[in-house]
Amino acid sequence: MQDVKKYSEDELVHLLKNRDQSAFSYLYDNYSSVLYGVIYKMLENHELSEDVLQEAFIKIWNNFSNYDSDKGRLFTWMLNITRNLTIDTIRSKGYKKQSKIQNSENAVNNISDKANTAESFDALGIRKHLTLLKNDQKQIIDLAYFGGLTQEEISKTLDIPLGTVKTKMRTAIIELRKVLK
Amino acid sequence: MNKEGIISSGLLELYAMGLTSAEETRQVEGWVNQYPEIKQELDAIEASLESYAKAHAIVPSSSVKDKIFSHIASEQSADANKIPSIKAAPAPQKVYRIPTYFKVAAAAIIIVLIGSVALNYSYYSKYQSANNELQVAQEKLRQNEQANLAMKTDINVMSDKNSLPVVLKGTPHAPDALAKIYWMKNTGEVYVDPSNLPSAPAGKQYQLWAIIDGKPVDAGMISTKQGIYHIQKMKTFGSAQAFAITLEKAGGSPTPTMDQMYVIAKI
Repeated sequence: MQDVKKYSEDELVHLLKNRDQSAFSYLYDNYSSVLYGVIYKMLENHELSEDVLQEAFIKIWNNFSNYDSDKGRLFTWMLNITRNLTIDTIRSKGYKKQSKIQNSENAVNNISDKANTAESFDALGIRKHLTLLKNDQKQIIDLAYFGGLTQEEISKTLDIPLGTVKTKMRTAIIELRKVLK
Repeated sequence: MNKEGIISSGLLELYAMGLTSAEETRQVEGWVNQYPEIKQELDAIEASLESYAKAHAIVPSSSVKDKIFSHIASEQSADANKIPSIKAAPAPQKVYRIPTYFKVAAAAIIIVLIGSVALNYSYYSKYQSANNELQVAQEKLRQNEQANLAMKTDINVMSDKNSLPVVLKGTPHAPDALAKIYWMKNTGEVYVDPSNLPSAPAGKQYQLWAIIDGKPVDAGMISTKQGIYHIQKMKTFGSAQAFAITLEKAGGSPTPTMDQMYVIAKI
C-alpha cells in the first residue's frame, strides 16, 4: 500500500458522520478509483460509469449517517451502495449486456491493458498475486462483484446447484486471502 | 450454529459480496454483534475483497470530483431534498432555486400591495369628497352664524327699550323708498335699517345725514353687503332735528346731493 493515510478508518467515519467535507475529499481520493473500477467493469462505458460514480458518492455523503461500522467495513458499505446503483442503471436504463460472464472474464483478463488503471494501491502487485487464482475461482467472484448477479443467477450461469454457490464462493475467497497474504 | 459452523457456512462471504437475502443479512449481523471472532473473520473477508477491487481500480476523470463537490455545496446552500439528474450536467453546475414558499410569499405580498394601493386610492377619493363636503358644510355654517349674528343684532336694536324707531319716508323723487332708524335715547347711537331702499346702482352708495340746527351732518355710509341691507350702526348724535338718506358716489360726499334724497324724517 503506497497511499499515505491521513485518517484511520474510525477517524474518517467519525468525521464523515459530522459531515466534514475535507474527510469526504479524502474518502473520494482514496476510494473513487476502486469504486470506479468496479462500476466500469460492470458497465464498460466511461461516461455512464462516471455518472454512476458521481451518484454513488453523493449518496454516500447524504446517507452516511446510515453507516454502521459494527456491520462491516466502510469500503464494503460503499461498494454495496455503488454496486446497487450500477445494477439499477443496468436495469432501468434499458442497458443491455449480452453476456455478463464474457464481459467479466474479459475484464479480468484485460486488466493489464487498461492504461488508466490506478497504481496507487500497488494494483500491479495485487494483480500478480491474482494470477495465482484459478479461473473458476476468479469467475465466481467476478460474477458477484462485477456482474451483480444474485446467488440464483450465479447458480444458473455456472450451472451448479444453488447450495454449492455458497461453498464455491467461500473456497474462492479463502484462496483469494491466501494469495494476497 | 457454532462459530466454526458459521465461518465454514460460506454465508459471511456472501454477506461481504452483498449476496445474502434480507433474512440471511439479519442473521449474519446478529452473529457479528455476538462473536468478536466472527466480526474478525468478516473483516478479513471484506479486506480481501477490497484488495481484489483495488486490483481493478481505474482513476476516473478529475471532473467527477468537482461535480460531486459542487453538487454537495449547492445541496447545502439550497434545498437538499432531491438529487437532480446527474446525467444532465456535463460540467459543474450550481443550481440556484428560489424556494416555492418564497415564490408564494412574494406573490401574496404583491397581491396585498396591489389591493392596498386600490384601497388607498378608494379611501383617498372618499376622503377628498368628504373633506370637500365638510368644507362646504363649514362655510354654510359660518354664513348661517353670520346671518344669525346679524339678525340677532337687528333684533337687539329693535327690541331695546331705549330705541326710538324713526321711519324715513320716501321723497317725491323716490316715493316707494322707505328706511328706518333706531335712535338710542340713552346713548345717542343711531342704527339704520335700509332694507326697503332700492338697490344702489354700481359706483353709488347711500349716505345718512343728520340735520342739526338746519345743517346736514354726515352720519356715515350705509354699506351694502352682498346686496342685502342689514341694520347697521351709524355715527352717534345727541340731538338731531331730522335724518335723511341720499344716494351719493361710493365713499360718500361732504355735503348731500339734494336731488338724490330718497327718504327723510323729522324727529
